Amino acid sequence: MAYLVTFHWTWLLASLLLGLAMGWIAVVHRGQGVSKRTARWLAVLAAALVALALARVIPGRPGYWLDLGLIMFALYLAGCAVGSWLRDWALSRDAPAA
Amino acid sequence: MHGLFRWSSKWWPGVIPLVVFWAIAAWTSTPPLESDLAARSTSALKDSVLDKTRIAVAGRDVTFAADAFSEDGRRSAVAAVQAVPGVRQVNDETRLVPEAKPFVWSAERDVVRVTLRGSAPLPASKGRLFEAARAGLGGVEVVDQMNLSRGAPPRFDNVAQLLLDQIGKLKDGKITLSDTKVSLSGMARDLGGREAIAAALKNLPEGFSVAANEIKAPPYIFQAYKDPVAVTLTLTGYVPDNNVHGALATAAGRKFFSEKVVDNLKASVGAPSGFAAAVAPALGALSRLSTGTLVVTDREVKLSGDAFYDAAAAQIRAGLGKDFPQGWQFKAEISVKPAAAPVDATVCQQLFSDLLAKGKIRFESGRASIDPDSAGLLDRLVETALRCPTANIEVAGHTDADGEDAFNQALSEKRAQAVTDYLVKAGLPAGRFTAMGYGSTKPVAGNDTDEGKAQNRRIDFMVRE
Repeated sequence: MAYLVTFHWTWLLASLLLGLAMGWIAVVHRGQGVSKRTARWLAVLAAALVALALARVIPGRPGYWLDLGLIMFALYLAGCAVGSWLRDWALSRDAPAA
Repeated sequence: MHGLFRWSSKWWPGVIPLVVFWAIAAWTSTPPLESDLAARSTSALKDSVLDKTRIAVAGRDVTFAADAFSEDGRRSAVAAVQAVPGVRQVNDETRLVPEAKPFVWSAERDVVRVTLRGSAPLPASKGRLFEAARAGLGGVEVVDQMNLSRGAPPRFDNVAQLLLDQIGKLKDGKITLSDTKVSLSGMARDLGGREAIAAALKNLPEGFSVAANEIKAPPYIFQAYKDPVAVTLTLTGYVPDNNVHGALATAAGRKFFSEKVVDNLKASVGAPSGFAAAVAPALGALSRLSTGTLVVTDREVKLSGDAFYDAAAAQIRAGLGKDFPQGWQFKAEISVKPAAAPVDATVCQQLFSDLLAKGKIRFESGRASIDPDSAGLLDRLVETALRCPTANIEVAGHTDADGEDAFNQALSEKRAQAVTDYLVKAGLPAGRFTAMGYGSTKPVAGNDTDEGKAQNRRIDFMVRE
């Protein structure tokens, strides 16, 4: 893992920033969200992929690509969470003043 | 927390560029990642002793194939690759090198090259043997056909090194090490090479032994050439040691009374047994030839040349082989020198005097038996006597003044008679010779010095018409 981070830090940073941006936008976004049911399926899918990666079932290059995708996705989610929280915090600080 | 769930339902649009990022990252990073892992794995193995190492990387998975020389070495090599950071898993395709039973190694030399075959225990020892062969055999092509196997006897390297040193002493041949047994065959390069190899094999480490040593020595050659034109005797080839060398040189000086001895002999080990005992009489036979060559090859003596007269040729052919030690062979190709032109009595006398001035007929001390070393001189005297068939010759014996006159008188008569007998045996008519003894009555030098006495002890030939 440490090796992947040092080897791919630019892509991982890009994923994190993308997540931050998406999280920032998501708080005030008016579009359609993912339904609860779909979100549950997506969570199951993600858990299954993580399980596959940890079990090292997929060999060779696809296995590596899966690892890479999961790490980028994890950092994206972390970025989203931080971004959303920051936006929310910024909004709530501005609201009383307004 | 509730907010986070609410917001997260709207995070999905970012996944689309994320997937694009992911695709680009996967596309661009896979080959450099694989080559980086391959390089790291290779460097992790640099202290492992392996053969035929092959590393293939797919993604983060390493397929590692190699021949290891021990189970421990194999396991630790696999563990070293597994420990490389970034490697996800190792497909272990390593195996142990095959075990050779028996463990055979050989070095074979022919005219132009040395070929190393069989098994070596480790790549390092294989390389060392190859380098040692190249260094030790300066200039000879070395061909390495060794493969790697397990099961070498302990101290294999030392033994193989020792055997490689021996291959340098061979002209051609093969040295094989099978487990702990050494077999050798071939021909030594130099005289003494066989003995040197046998001596070196005594240094084999404990547990190793020589199963067969069939190294042959090159022929041991001694040659002597009597040249009547240059009046020389040329000795070439080998003698066993300086004592034999000295003895042969002295004997040659005595037997070849008029020739200059050119001594090109070299001392070398490897002489057949009985060498001195065979060469000395062979030189005596050569001294009786007008021109001739003596070649001693191992235990074969070959004498060719021209005798002075028929009876001498027959005597040499019949007599020489008898003096030889057991196991020696004798081949004679003796012809007879064409008779020289007859001369008159005066010239004959001159020829006798010249011959007897150059050499003296020797006898055993105080006795009348002719020393065999004088056979060459006597044959020359016979030849001269044959050239003046009408002359009558007085063979006169003289002694020095030591001892009783009566004894000296008798001795001089007996010695003169012995010489006459020799001449008659050679085929000359007995009636032409008169044996006379003069005791010490006709000295040619003073009897007060050893030198003078030696000059007085003599046989003279006087031509009487």
